[in-house]
Amino acid sequence: MRLLVLLWSLGPLLWQLRTSLLRPEALVAPLLDGNPWTLANYQLVLSGDPPFWRYLANSTLVGLVTTVLTLLLAVPCAYGLHKERGPVRWGVGLALVAAAMFPTVLLFLALLEIARSFGLANNLLSLSLPYTALSLPLAVLLLRAAFADLPPELEDAARLEGLNLGQRLKHVLLPLLGPALASTAILVFLASWNEYAIALTWISRNDLLTLPIAIARIGGGSVFTIPYGAFAAATVLGSLPLLLLVLLAQRSIVSGLTRGAVKG
Amino acid sequence: MNKRGTTLLMLPALLLLAAVFLYPLLRYAWLSLHASSVLTGLVPVPNGGANWGRLLDDARFWTDAVQTLRFALVSVALELVGGLALALLLHRPLRGRGPLRALTLLPWALPTTVMALGWRWILNDPHGPLNAAIRSLGGSSYGFLSTPATTWFFVVLADVWKTMPFVALLLLAGLQTIPLDLEEALRLEGASRLQILRRLTLPLLVPYLSLALLFRLAQALGVFDLIQVLTGGGPAGSTESLALYAYLNAMRFLDFGYASTVMLATFLLLLVLLGGGWLLLRRAGLERTSGRPA
Amino acid sequence: MAARPLLSSLRRQPAVLGLLAVLLLVLLSATGLRAVQAVAAEPVPIRVLMPAPLADAVAGPVARFNASNSGVAVEVIRGPLDTETISDLAISSLLLGEAPFDLLLVDVSWLPKYVAAGWFVPLERWFGPELLAAMEPGARLGNGLGEHLWRMPLTGDTGLLYWRTDLMPRPPRDTEELVAISRDLQRRGRVRWGYLWQGRQYEGLSCVMVEMLQAFGARWWNGSTARTELDSPEAVAAASWLDALLRDGVSPRAVANYAENDALQSFAAGEAAFLRNWPYAWREIEKGGGPVAGKVGVTPMVGAPGEQGGGTLGTWGLSLIKGSPHPEEAVAVIRWLTGPVVQRQLAIEQGYAPTWSQLYDDPDLQRRAPLLAVQRQALQHPQLRPPTPAYAQLSDLLARQVNGMLTGQAGPDQTMATAQRQSQQVLRSLAGSPTPAAPG
Repeated sequence: MRLLVLLWSLGPLLWQLRTSLLRPEALVAPLLDGNPWTLANYQLVLSGDPPFWRYLANSTLVGLVTTVLTLLLAVPCAYGLHKERGPVRWGVGLALVAAAMFPTVLLFLALLEIARSFGLANNLLSLSLPYTALSLPLAVLLLRAAFADLPPELEDAARLEGLNLGQRLKHVLLPLLGPALASTAILVFLASWNEYAIALTWISRNDLLTLPIAIARIGGGSVFTIPYGAFAAATVLGSLPLLLLVLLAQRSIVSGLTRGAVKG
Repeated sequence: MNKRGTTLLMLPALLLLAAVFLYPLLRYAWLSLHASSVLTGLVPVPNGGANWGRLLDDARFWTDAVQTLRFALVSVALELVGGLALALLLHRPLRGRGPLRALTLLPWALPTTVMALGWRWILNDPHGPLNAAIRSLGGSSYGFLSTPATTWFFVVLADVWKTMPFVALLLLAGLQTIPLDLEEALRLEGASRLQILRRLTLPLLVPYLSLALLFRLAQALGVFDLIQVLTGGGPAGSTESLALYAYLNAMRFLDFGYASTVMLATFLLLLVLLGGGWLLLRRAGLERTSGRPA
Repeated sequence: MAARPLLSSLRRQPAVLGLLAVLLLVLLSATGLRAVQAVAAEPVPIRVLMPAPLADAVAGPVARFNASNSGVAVEVIRGPLDTETISDLAISSLLLGEAPFDLLLVDVSWLPKYVAAGWFVPLERWFGPELLAAMEPGARLGNGLGEHLWRMPLTGDTGLLYWRTDLMPRPPRDTEELVAISRDLQRRGRVRWGYLWQGRQYEGLSCVMVEMLQAFGARWWNGSTARTELDSPEAVAAASWLDALLRDGVSPRAVANYAENDALQSFAAGEAAFLRNWPYAWREIEKGGGPVAGKVGVTPMVGAPGEQGGGTLGTWGLSLIKGSPHPEEAVAVIRWLTGPVVQRQLAIEQGYAPTWSQLYDDPDLQRRAPLLAVQRQALQHPQLRPPTPAYAQLSDLLARQVNGMLTGQAGPDQTMATAQRQSQQVLRSLAGSPTPAAPG
């Protein structure tokens, strides 16, 4: 049973791994002689123009900036929402849930216009602005749930000691939110690393493409002449950082999503 | 902390959200009443509702609407069933549960385009492994991605592969809230595992199932990147989704007025479906959990 | 949840810390290497975006040009193979206002759209009418709009009719002969199918429709009124003829799902007497060495009795992108790439039809590119697809309706009436007024 599940989840990836290590001729027909295995596909992808690691670096940069920006905006918002009462709390909460569910591809046209009129195109830093907005709803909902988990007496005590809001957040509340912040950060990073529609319309320069677009552009042609070996190598290289991330941070991701499910 | 203060704390985030979510919807509503295309030099000119008239008579829009709906309903149904099975498995105390959870989660964490390209190779006709397997069993190669009648199902498959772990994770969260002693009590009464599932687990999972259903339905109705990379909407438009059609109207046809109309219509369709689904679930949920405080 | 400071809580998650360190490392090495990369090249760089097959075809001439020390370094960007996909790529760059290339290889059917969007620079300053007069008449079409020249053609391809020299002494002269020969051969069991063409719902079907409309004396687009005329009796007759091909078994039902390649494969396997395709198909058939290699003739597209037939124009040409920092150098590249030397090589190696009349008169080239005479003949009466910026939408809805007819969803009358109604709707919605203004 476990084996079956693993086969289903990892089978396609392992096949890509196998494909990436085969000589192109060996993909089409069994080789009669010689060693079918090769690293040439990886050399090809890594020596491309620009080399493949460039896309990884671009995605990483956007992901990191987005994560920091999202947390900077989400923490105060979540705290405010946590303290808010009445129709505002209800309305903002509902709006956040709606925004979290919204299929983001429907936004691309208006965002493209914004990018054009404000000159935000072809800039990795400005790309993290819409990304931050897309990640905010979920981040706020997760962090609000985390704030709600904290015992209220803690903050009351801090207030009695004369700490202002900033000090309370910095010295009392945020340290307690460590795990929630970490899991939120990972989810935000993942979302921005994988975003497609907006990156597709905001970035046209080859050396600034993020990973999903670079990969799609490789495949965007006819079925006939795709050098599948090289693309398999690209998918393997593109998956490795995430494999690492998921394996290392599995518990954070699970706990983060769990909290979101319960309280969101 | 006074009331104004907390509202102020939310303001920066809410402003950004308004700019990115609310402004596009208003902009689309306005643009959908205008021609903004190559014939107007990409400058909006009022066209008296001609976009909406065109939408009603646009065979491609309605075909895509049906195809998008079919994709969403079938893939979400499969994801819920598969995700539930997966969650039940991952919930059981197994050896190596941590790594197992992580590895099953991996497809969800990968960029859609990465594995869309992978699927294109796996489903390749005739060199992909699936066709190789069919041939070694004595069959002949099948055009998984070139047969208009069936290609949509393989797109569904690729989507299920990627998003099932996410559904499983949500349901896993739900399973963890079910007290073990309740299950134990039922077992002592002599209930079978299937009976426990039906009488205890499923009813308590309803909120989580509903959440997964609504969330996945909304995402599936906006399906875009998977289809663009896996099939490009083909063969013969048989897998084109509404989002892809809107994208093509804007980026290929340079018809921003009509693209906005398609986008807004898709959004309205989504609202109706989700609203209807939500009401249905609420009623079902109330009936199931009657007696418990809502 | 225990109370502990942020850092120590992070320390409990060494995974996260380790990951951040790795990510930071990747980032730093990326910026470091970028600095090393920034080494300026001496000659003026001119970047050209082309579909991969054409990029490969001109690789040799481009290398020679770059070696000639003209002070210009041509860099060909290999775009995707698929015509639509490469246009998408170009448009998404141009929409953002800073195109990463100076020249674009443009398909004849995109030109009005790109011109209307204001993305090109007129070329008549550099390429005057006397220069274009040295081209075959068909090759001069589809490059100018309004008062301006927007594109220099590189190839002069048109749709052609392929026929089997082993099954008939001469090609058919009109559509009636084509059907009569087909049915006779089918009756005698000489061949399974009569005529193979492109009936799938895509641009190829629109090209077939352009030819059929011409063959029956109808027209798709009226340039003076900027309206479509798809519901005229002649247009319905054209659609009826295609419909009858399937109903009478001259063409297989599967044609409704055929693109160029499917039709070519079936024809190359000896399954049919006639094929509609582009010039490259001839080389594919001869190279493939299948059952019909050496038994295939090519002729311009036929019309109905008494009508002038004509193949759809499917030419590529180079346009200069507005905002290119080096227009003069870019024009020099256009001049070289569209010149006789490169076209000659494309004709020999890939079978692309040249545009320059002098090349058609060259006996050596005639020997090495056997289709040359037919290609020249076809360039006397080629058919343009509607030269309107709205062409992509009009083509999409016509192909959709006609494909519906081929799969039995509606008769020719209703099909063409629907196509006409929807075309006018699209034009209204695009133009913002009842009568759309002509482009340019």
